[in-house]
Amino acid sequence: MIRYIARRLILLGPLLIGITFVSWAAIQLAPGSGDYFQSLVLQYPQISPATIAGLRARFGMDQPPWIQYLRWLWNILHLDLGLSFAYQVPVTWLIGTRALNTLLLSVTSLVAAWSIAIPLGIYSAVHQYSVTDGLLSAGAFVAISVPSFFSALLLLYAAFWSHVLPLQGLTSVNYDGLSWGAKVLDVARHLVLPTIALGVFSVGGLMRYMRNNLLDVLRADYVKTARSKGVSERRVIFRHAVRNAINPLVTLFGFELGGLLSGAAFVENILGYPGLGRLVLEAVLKKDVFVVMGSLLMGSVLLILGNLTADVLLAFVDPRIRYD
Amino acid sequence: MNTTIVLSLVTALLMVPPQVGAAPPGPPHASLPDLPNPKVMLGEPGRFGGTFLDAQVADPRTFNPILAQETSSTGPLGGLFDGLVEDNGETTATEPALAESWTTSPDGRTWTFVLRKGLKWSDGAPMTADDVVFTFKVIYDKKIPNSLQDVLTVAGKPIAVTKVNDQTVQFRTAEPFGPFLRSIGIGILPRHKLEAAYTSGKFNQTWGVNTPPKELVGTGAYVMTEYKPAQRIMYLRNGNYWKVDLQGHRLPYIQRLVLTIVPDQNAHRLLFQGGQTDSYGIRPREYAEFKRGEKTGGYTVYDGGPSFGTEFLSFNQNPRAGLPEYKLRWFQNQKFRQGVAYAVDRDAITDQVYAGHAIPQYGPESPADKFFYNPKVKQYPYNLDTATATLAEGGFKKGADGVLRDADGHPVEFVISTNADNQDRVAIGNIIRQDLSKLGMKVTLAPEAFNTLVNKLVESFKWEAIVLGLTGGIEPHNGQNVWKSSGSLHMWNPKEPNPATPWEGEIDRLFNLAATTVDQNRRKGYYDKYQTIVAEQVPFAYTTIPTSYVAVRNKFGNIKYTAFGGPFWNFPVIYIKP
Repeated sequence: MIRYIARRLILLGPLLIGITFVSWAAIQLAPGSGDYFQSLVLQYPQISPATIAGLRARFGMDQPPWIQYLRWLWNILHLDLGLSFAYQVPVTWLIGTRALNTLLLSVTSLVAAWSIAIPLGIYSAVHQYSVTDGLLSAGAFVAISVPSFFSALLLLYAAFWSHVLPLQGLTSVNYDGLSWGAKVLDVARHLVLPTIALGVFSVGGLMRYMRNNLLDVLRADYVKTARSKGVSERRVIFRHAVRNAINPLVTLFGFELGGLLSGAAFVENILGYPGLGRLVLEAVLKKDVFVVMGSLLMGSVLLILGNLTADVLLAFVDPRIRYD
Repeated sequence: MNTTIVLSLVTALLMVPPQVGAAPPGPPHASLPDLPNPKVMLGEPGRFGGTFLDAQVADPRTFNPILAQETSSTGPLGGLFDGLVEDNGETTATEPALAESWTTSPDGRTWTFVLRKGLKWSDGAPMTADDVVFTFKVIYDKKIPNSLQDVLTVAGKPIAVTKVNDQTVQFRTAEPFGPFLRSIGIGILPRHKLEAAYTSGKFNQTWGVNTPPKELVGTGAYVMTEYKPAQRIMYLRNGNYWKVDLQGHRLPYIQRLVLTIVPDQNAHRLLFQGGQTDSYGIRPREYAEFKRGEKTGGYTVYDGGPSFGTEFLSFNQNPRAGLPEYKLRWFQNQKFRQGVAYAVDRDAITDQVYAGHAIPQYGPESPADKFFYNPKVKQYPYNLDTATATLAEGGFKKGADGVLRDADGHPVEFVISTNADNQDRVAIGNIIRQDLSKLGMKVTLAPEAFNTLVNKLVESFKWEAIVLGLTGGIEPHNGQNVWKSSGSLHMWNPKEPNPATPWEGEIDRLFNLAATTVDQNRRKGYYDKYQTIVAEQVPFAYTTIPTSYVAVRNKFGNIKYTAFGGPFWNFPVIYIKP
């Protein structure tokens, strides 16, 4: 197992280089749009072409694209993600100030989504074709078809009219004067809306997965065997069926980790949450290349590690899987 | 994302530079023990203390006032740094600030500024002429790309800045420079905090948004105490500030400022309506709703009059654009452009885009510019018959099939580009498109990404017509990159080696004359003529200017809102009513 993990980690390097190369090429080849410095001309008409050329040179953007890429790669090896064009501060700092917030939101919404979806899925499968199952399925289909930005908007207006939860942000204005416990409570209150928007609305899909997996397993021979042996229904479901049905969901978990980042961008933007998504969206629109590359790199690392975690977990959950 | 194109950042006005700077208004003997000649700010006596909550879209880009350009940075820094002079938001006059007075030499090239005695940085260090000299040394350093450099270059040369003594600084320009006073009010930097970084070549990275706010030392009314990225910026009043109220009490009145960072204007609006900010800049189409909510919301909607922003339609007249020869001929045809100008339904735009809160515009300057605006330019009131007649004069005839054709029989069809993320602009483009269709033109509206549009304007030139806007200001000189034929923003034909037409040559001449004339009334004469020419030649067919509104909670006193100064130009005397 250790050797397997080591092999996967070593492969990570070439994989990431491949990913960054494709990303870089995609940014360079984006048709017809100017670079960050070009748009300065329109924003500050007084700026002279010489000043713009000076700025380009400062960031090494006066070099051919492949040299820019190699330089970027060389800096990455030294854990330097470069400078943001717009902010002129290290990309690591920009991402660092927001990454923890996004991670926090990802964790709360993952926990919320899974802890709601799994029990509901089990209930639904066990009570197949009951009225509750029907209602849950209908609810799931609605939740699946509502995009997260729309649910965020709905939540925002609900919060606005109800005055119960804060409209945006992660902390209150008086946060720094609060006691330790009050700080936690303050952050928790601010997390409710984004967590619902990002996590709870993805419950639908997860729940359907769980339900269908469990239904498949319940039809399997060994379940029939167990039942005919006189094992209690409760024991059949929880000891035998659920453990097997949850297998494919573990794989899904790996993808979810990477996917949450992209979904978070919309929610963060609408609910004013101080996460990575807002930063990256703005950087993409402004062609702030190093910020975009830095966050793509981070997203790729998360996705790859997520998949690795899922594979390792699978080995523990499923006795049929062995990597050695 | 800020899609508005800012025409002018340095905005001040019209005062004829007198031989001696204006004495500060108010009682002659206001003085503090350590500050014998503070600036006295007018306003009813206020109360000290309290918190003001505001919000802005987008994070600041930098805390370095030399590198700060967009409003998302200049806004948060506005209360931290002061210049030698400042603009009065109400009268638009240039007033003394860190400098208590100034003199001009008879040749108009040497300006001598005397600093107030006893000025201190927020960390207690004395502020002297050395700081001023240092600031300009930094601005003119070629290794520090910044656009102030470009604004403050006169006849291709930097302004020579020398220290006379600790309290006196002298500026000498290569030629007499008309916009001098309006360009010189830039934030002065503390030499004692920044010199080490500058000499070691690290100035570009100094005072970025990753700097602990306590490091930022200024002379402004406030000091920054905390910055939480994507959340908020907090400020505390500066106990060393150099302004007093009419009773001689040291300003500012308000103790604490909180600036919440919101993702967009709608979020700001919700925060304001939820009572979590104290002011909100109202868009014209929101006016009626906010006016209705005044009583229940406990705020007042202030009307600042016409704003500075302009929206216009322009045609590509650039021979390097690769347009078909006949299309280029249409766009270069004055009668064609005038005909189109008659077909712009400004009333429809006012009603549909700005809910009735806008005025028609025909020339390049806004009436908000009370000194340089020329009201006597050629007007193009909406009239499709006049438009048809004017087009006919230019050789365009509508056939029996309803299609407008030029003298050679080419049907008139073209694409209007605009930026997709600006809903107002797309709406204006649609209204124009409909009217032009009535004239027999086949017009397509193509909303595009902002960066794509910029690339077309300044590099590929591959566009036919465009609906765009410029956020203007008071000093027409700041528009020289648009109006001079050599300008990179001379959109219809940028960076001409020589003026392509006599009228463009004439505008060049007027801009150069106005830049090198110090007498403000003569400058106005030159700029009046430029406005007349632009209106006659219609390189831009102007549309409407929206009215500027702001809502501010009723608990604040001394609010004096103007389109020029905004709601907070006199922030030090704004106070919270008991």
